[in-house]
Amino acid sequence: MNTAYEILDVATTANDVGIKQAYLRLVKDNPPDRDQEKFQLIHNAYTAIKDHKSRVSYALFMLPETSFDTVIDQMLQTEHPANFSAELVNQLLRASVDDATLLNIIATPKK
Amino acid sequence: MNEIIIGIDLGTTNSEVSVIEQGKVTIIKDGDKKMLASFVGIDDAGQVIVGEMARNQYLVYPERTIKSIKRLMGQDSQVVLADQAYTPQEISAIILTRLKGIAEQYLGQTVSKAVITVPAYFSDAQRQATREAGEIAGLDVVRMINEPTAAALAYGAMQAEEKKVLVYDLGGGTFDVSVVNMQDGVVEVLSSHGDNHLGGDDFDQQIIEFLVDHIQKTHGIDVHSHSKAMARLTRAAEEAKFLLSDQPYAQINEEYLLEHEGAAVHLSLELSRMAYEEMIEDYINATIDATHTALKGAKLTAPDIDEVILVGGSTRTPCIRERLFNDFGFEPHSEVDPDLCVAMGAAIQAAMINGQEVDTVLVDVTPYTYGTSAIGVLDGQPYPFMFVPVIHKNSVLPNRKADAFATSYDGQDTVEITIYQGEDPDALNNVKIGEFLVEGLLDVARGNVVTLTLGLDLNGLLNVSAVEKETGLEKSITIKNALSQFEGEALDAAQQRITSLFGQLDPRVIDADTLQSSIVSDAPEIAAARELIIKAEGLFAKVSDEDKEDMAGLIEIMRTCIEAQNIEGLDEPSAQLTDIIYYLES
Repeated sequence: MNTAYEILDVATTANDVGIKQAYLRLVKDNPPDRDQEKFQLIHNAYTAIKDHKSRVSYALFMLPETSFDTVIDQMLQTEHPANFSAELVNQLLRASVDDATLLNIIATPKK
Repeated sequence: MNEIIIGIDLGTTNSEVSVIEQGKVTIIKDGDKKMLASFVGIDDAGQVIVGEMARNQYLVYPERTIKSIKRLMGQDSQVVLADQAYTPQEISAIILTRLKGIAEQYLGQTVSKAVITVPAYFSDAQRQATREAGEIAGLDVVRMINEPTAAALAYGAMQAEEKKVLVYDLGGGTFDVSVVNMQDGVVEVLSSHGDNHLGGDDFDQQIIEFLVDHIQKTHGIDVHSHSKAMARLTRAAEEAKFLLSDQPYAQINEEYLLEHEGAAVHLSLELSRMAYEEMIEDYINATIDATHTALKGAKLTAPDIDEVILVGGSTRTPCIRERLFNDFGFEPHSEVDPDLCVAMGAAIQAAMINGQEVDTVLVDVTPYTYGTSAIGVLDGQPYPFMFVPVIHKNSVLPNRKADAFATSYDGQDTVEITIYQGEDPDALNNVKIGEFLVEGLLDVARGNVVTLTLGLDLNGLLNVSAVEKETGLEKSITIKNALSQFEGEALDAAQQRITSLFGQLDPRVIDADTLQSSIVSDAPEIAAARELIIKAEGLFAKVSDEDKEDMAGLIEIMRTCIEAQNIEGLDEPSAQLTDIIYYLES
């Protein structure tokens, strides 16, 4: 299973503009009318990482399940999980995850 | 070389057929006309006529002529043509058969595949009906594309830089608006919105009612029951509308419109553009509102738009340009003929599907939300038919989305799944497009998970499947079948019916050699004579009894000649009749 970055053939450091260009180039070569399955794969990959917010969600989604478990464990120990800040989640993830690329994406500030 | 695929714009008022040749779009002419009037009629000889001839015949024999059939597509209704009932699909199939014939004659080979355009806002049922019309006409509809998108394709082929474009498409019967992004040879539709029953026909109708009112007031006659007079008012209204596109006033004169208590009733009045624009103001407002809905759907505002493109004959109405100018701050574009750009886009898409190199590819969206109903909370109350969207409006096509649902009571062994199309939170206010049962679920506590997957393909056809997560038990349907009124035998029967109307000739099995002689069932002289007869009969109401008698006599001779295919015999009476008409009209 390829990642969205691999499907679009872009670096994990690519920005909105670069990702959009890569997507359009692929669409030009694989129009929906010729191969619906292939187009859907490309489009889903694009949707997954098209802007900063979606890249953060995608990175979280791609994290190993164990790191999520760590966060959830911490949240379970908190009396008011709703107050659990995003910053705290980030800190926890940073502490428990060694996948530098993914962390890099989460931590990259918005352009 | 792949088999050729033609592009067809099947319009409410006019239709066109096009093809890509050496990388360029050709709109195929019928004689010297690029547009075929979307009128279908049965002539004196019981032969089907399509286009301009049928349009002319409408004035004399409205009961034998059908116009604007597109407005009925997808409805479970029938129209009566010369005492025979036909479905809207069958009437549309007659137009398609003619277009197919025009293309075959031009290309010198049989054609069996087409891309047909439909309004972006056409529903599932309307799309299905269009596909069926194609099948009846012996055309495999390889793709249906949305009209504003097709127009954007025709424009997109000329663009170099990135642009956000709003396509405003107001045709004879339907209105669509789409926001598209054009960049690097890809036309991406960002949103579409529209109204399936708003178009130039409605503008005509406003003028017709104005004329009817006028006659009611001045003569105390209700014209509605006089079908021929109504047909003439319809034509007069349309002509006035055309004039008002260029002029501030239009003079409407219809002499001898009808007879009332032994006296002839003439109509003569002036309509100002201002009065006309007031009549259609509500319609224009509705289109402008839809334009803003489309912008919102694309998450854009008016200043984000780089260009506005006008599509459809009705955009010639000057106040539309003004309103759009006010909202966007620049003049809308109409360089590519608003009547033809949809057909051009259809040809481009046809070539693309056929594997030919094209400059522009298309990514389209669904204008509707698709989902199911479930127990939920609506307006603070528990409600069993809450609409749960699965594929949202303006999602890219093709699209596949899944959602998980749970059984609501212990030991529930059956779930009933109903699929709706629409935007209302109350599912019952949306359009129900299919339903099915999943039976034999596990006997377990409530909360048994059933995953519902909706797959919407490029033609807007929906596949639905439901899977019990625990066991993999699956049930699926294709909505296409649920809506189809024509399957198997019914389709064959319709095909035969339509084919027989075109004489003994089966338009699906013709070889190229016989095309020239057989597709054009009439020699040009005979076709001209038929037109002349229709024209002459159109004048009957206006002429003296003496002239009428002379004309009727000549027409009688001409009909005999037509029947006998005696072309030479037509010369003399045709010339005499032409002279009389010339004298009467001068």
